[in-house]
Amino acid sequence: MPSPPPLSALYSLSFLLALLTTLLVAASLRLLAILPTTHTSAPLAAARRKHPHATRLLIVLGSGGHTHEMLYLLRALDPAKYTHRTYVVGAGDAFSAQRAVEFEREVEGRERERARARGDGDGDGDIEKRKPKTEMETETQAQRDQPTPPRTLRTGPEAYNIATIPRARHIHQPLLTTPLTALSTLLYSFPPLLSSPPLLPAQPPQTPYEAAAADLPDLILTNGPATGVLVVLAALVLKFFDVRGAQSRGMCKTVYVESFARVRTLSLSGRCLVWVVDRFVVQWEELEGRGGRAEFWGVLV
Amino acid sequence: MAALSWLEWNPTSFNINNPWTWSPGSDKKVCFVTTGATAPFTALIESVLKPSSIEALRNQGYTHLLIQYGTAKDVFSSCAGAAQCNTRKDSRREALTIDGIDFFPEGLKTQFKLVQQSKGLVISHAGSGSILEALRYQVPLLVVPNTGLLDNHQEELAVAMERSNYLVRGDVKDLAPAIQKSEDFKDKMTQFPPITSGGHRETKSFADIMDETMGFLD
Repeated sequence: MPSPPPLSALYSLSFLLALLTTLLVAASLRLLAILPTTHTSAPLAAARRKHPHATRLLIVLGSGGHTHEMLYLLRALDPAKYTHRTYVVGAGDAFSAQRAVEFEREVEGRERERARARGDGDGDGDIEKRKPKTEMETETQAQRDQPTPPRTLRTGPEAYNIATIPRARHIHQPLLTTPLTALSTLLYSFPPLLSSPPLLPAQPPQTPYEAAAADLPDLILTNGPATGVLVVLAALVLKFFDVRGAQSRGMCKTVYVESFARVRTLSLSGRCLVWVVDRFVVQWEELEGRGGRAEFWGVLV
Repeated sequence: MAALSWLEWNPTSFNINNPWTWSPGSDKKVCFVTTGATAPFTALIESVLKPSSIEALRNQGYTHLLIQYGTAKDVFSSCAGAAQCNTRKDSRREALTIDGIDFFPEGLKTQFKLVQQSKGLVISHAGSGSILEALRYQVPLLVVPNTGLLDNHQEELAVAMERSNYLVRGDVKDLAPAIQKSEDFKDKMTQFPPITSGGHRETKSFADIMDETMGFLD
């Protein structure tokens, strides 16, 4: 019977190389499995859901211009579909945080107005006073007949949170120290990705909405700030190790929208993420097909 | 600290009540110039206040010229003084009222509204934020790229937007031709944001793209 190799063989250079090669191959295979395929211009093969119930949307806001564009992109946001919103802002970016609060207030106002027009919610008798046209009447009648579940108002401070993480790169920061600050941004990206803070501490979620808020985001949106690149990379790490089922449950889908100001060339953030995100959207026809997968559907802002 | 400086704006420095308000039936015609918050585009301030530009504005019937000069107040003051003197010499026509504002942290809503109501014109630097904001008010927009900036995408964006007929592009060296052009442009400008249906190819809104990615069925 051959004796097992001595334990010291494990410390040899050739064993180390073999181990590294195996790990590298395994990691590459894993990356290939989780990264989106090149030809994703066709709609994603996402699990089709008829009645979206409770979801969490994570939005990365950046410096002034990026925040403006992101909130223009989100102008038709339906809080009944995206029931919890997490806004990620760079530390010290009070402007973006303020804009996010104003945006949520607008969404809330719009939803209240809608609820009032439908005659449910807090605006009861208003529908009587307004005397809508006959066509309007039939429309609302048809809506009532449909067996759709009642829309709950998913707006207000309970339906969103703002997470602050260190900036990836400060203005005028030398390139040499950027990897360090970027690493800290990457590490601080994990807590807001993993969950949003619970309404009541030390209490399990009571409703599906609270459960979704405490879970990984279903969808991550970014449009170019450096912080966004690191948040997407952090999400990739979660998918790589399938943390909390990030990969197996199909969570953390990523959409990158290139800035409207980019007409002929991709931004640095865009070039970093073109292979990584699930969908890469550009706003000028000339950029369509960049990286083999940039989608163009018209101006979106 | 740079972010703090604009918070110190004093509301009394610009009196909104008079003459920069709109009353129905007024024959006021306002041209509003915005030069960007981060780095003021002083060449644009100088160019707008040149005699040729002022003449072009008066020929198109403008009665008021409001300039957001940002941090370049000294440039504005010296040029505006000279321009105002020139217009007063010409007694045949009503004088052009020229005024300036520094920076509004709450945005330029009031100014854009005033232009919209008086059927006026916005002259802007080519920053994407200013372009997007002005176009939401459906006002004719004359964009002047800052050629002094190196490796800048402003010019590219302005060219692409002009090709799509959203705005008129002007040259900072001579604004008069672009000001004249903007008058006809008012009737044929393309609506922005574009309506996401019809057209020569399939378009989608961003909400559609989000729903599609999530697999939501309507």
